[in-house]
Amino acid sequence: MMKKLLRNPLSMLGFALLAFFIIIALLAPIIAPTPERHKHEPYRIPRYGWQITPTPPSEEHPFGLTQGQHDIFYGVVWGARTAFFVGLVVVGLSCAIGIVVGAASAYIGGRTDEIIMRIVDVFLSFPFLIAAVVITCVLGKGLDKVMIAMVCFWWMNYARLLRGSILQVKEEEFVLAARAAGVSHVKIIIRHILPNTIFPVLISASMDLGSVVVTAAGLSFLGLGAPEGYADWGQMISFSRNWLLGAPGEPLKYWYTVIYPGLAIVLFVLAWNLIGDAARDILDPKIQA
Amino acid sequence: MLSYIGRRLLFLPLVLFGVTLFIFIAMSFLSPYQLVSSYIKSPDELKNQSLDDLVKKYQLDDPAHIKYFRWLGNIARGNLGYSRSANMHVLHAIKARFPATLELTIFAIIPVVLGGIWLGSISAIHHNSPLDHGTRVFAIIGWSLPSFVFGIVLLMYFYGVLGWFPPGRLSTWADMVVLSKDFVRYTGMNTVDAILNGEWAVLWDAIRHLIAPTISLSYLWWAFILRITRSSMLDVLNKDYVRTARAKGLPENIVIGRHVRRNAMIPVATVAGFMVLGMLGGLTITETVFDYKGLGLLTATAAQQLDYTCVLGTTMFYGVILVVSNLVVDVLYALIDPRVRLD
Repeated sequence: MMKKLLRNPLSMLGFALLAFFIIIALLAPIIAPTPERHKHEPYRIPRYGWQITPTPPSEEHPFGLTQGQHDIFYGVVWGARTAFFVGLVVVGLSCAIGIVVGAASAYIGGRTDEIIMRIVDVFLSFPFLIAAVVITCVLGKGLDKVMIAMVCFWWMNYARLLRGSILQVKEEEFVLAARAAGVSHVKIIIRHILPNTIFPVLISASMDLGSVVVTAAGLSFLGLGAPEGYADWGQMISFSRNWLLGAPGEPLKYWYTVIYPGLAIVLFVLAWNLIGDAARDILDPKIQA
Repeated sequence: MLSYIGRRLLFLPLVLFGVTLFIFIAMSFLSPYQLVSSYIKSPDELKNQSLDDLVKKYQLDDPAHIKYFRWLGNIARGNLGYSRSANMHVLHAIKARFPATLELTIFAIIPVVLGGIWLGSISAIHHNSPLDHGTRVFAIIGWSLPSFVFGIVLLMYFYGVLGWFPPGRLSTWADMVVLSKDFVRYTGMNTVDAILNGEWAVLWDAIRHLIAPTISLSYLWWAFILRITRSSMLDVLNKDYVRTARAKGLPENIVIGRHVRRNAMIPVATVAGFMVLGMLGGLTITETVFDYKGLGLLTATAAQQLDYTCVLGTTMFYGVILVVSNLVVDVLYALIDPRVRLD
């Protein structure tokens, strides 16, 4: 599969973009060094003044300064770290929950399976973004709260996917043999069933990273996520909403407040979608024919 | 078909129950004091009562199951509480805002469904042609453009530079016409009311305000429907009965129209429910970007100001819409797919 992905020009572009973002995230302290005065909180975008109106790009601040003189370049670079962090934590935790629930449901089977799957259906039938808004509103604002809210409503697909593939292998001989040999249930699941079923779940989870990041950015845009001045793309875009009109006679005067953080997030998601789209075509036997 | 719909009908109350339980659990994260204090702006308003008295008076420290049924009773009577952020009862706010959201959704869904299916099937018929690659790129971009970025860029250019598509629902002058005595509000949807009242200038103004949010809301779902239609058309095009139809010498447009497209619609209908879910969520962001005063903006503003009553009330309402739209989608699905009907 990897070979096919590497031969496809679109997915290659995706990998290149992704590598670019990984490098930026890893090298953030070198690309955009944190000023000495707040070394202890590198995720707060440094301010260069207290004026509200944005300042256009200059040599010193290549992307300009957004509302409140926050450095856009610094925010975009460190925002890449935030994006990976949010994406990996949310996808990782939801995957863990999904695997536990899905494995338990499929392995136990019977009425338990039926009940768990109905609960999953109820979870799935609610608009994700609104559920996340409700939970964040009740827990209070903040990036950590946004992540909790997203995990609560993101695990169901993984549970379903894993359940489906476990049901297929559950009655296979190697499982029956292990059971006949007296291996404990937990051990059967971990040692024999999961290695044979977990692959599709992991693929689908890794493809979801892009959409997780967009959703988190959307919640930050609504003002529920990262606090003002935090290096987060969504939060930076919510700043730019106040400046989209420009000044009389110069309608695009503050373009840099939108374009740079906007471009960062669009390219980030594009990278994941290009890879995901190609992977889907390769994995889908129907289109192969 | 009846047994299928019956099964779905049994599932829907379960969803509604799940929604109420979810909201209630969310509410129970708030302590009684938090609930009381959200209504008290300054110490003077307490009028010598202590917070404990208020908690007692409104029975906020009752056990959870009692509170749950009391709350359900209130909802059944239409009492969703008072919203601080909207300055009115939640139910009134919902009533005032719902037509706007419905109007936007109708404007968005029709081009999405028709255009997505059309482009998707053309793309599949001309598989691997430049046209197919073009629509795929179009779809990937749509799938990757977050509506808050796309919306802001649309506003910047089409409002800031060209002045074509302003934010909001109506211009000030049109608002005056709509609020005047002679203008009858039949539905609350500006375009429909303008047509019924024969106010063509207002109609044009309302449409001008709807275009940009519609585009920003629908691009993503357009790409989504396009992708599903394309892959399902490709699947059906390889089926034996299509080869048979061609071998019989049927003209290509009849093969496509009667044998391929109709069967390819089945997976598209299955994802329609998913699309409604996504759109309901997407409305909060789109309406915020365009300052379009609908339900989504109501929820978003309330959430920003931590107005729990309003957020939970509108969520309950979303739950009801959801159940209704799910039912519609299920019936449509049963109508399209004969296998479900005969089941």
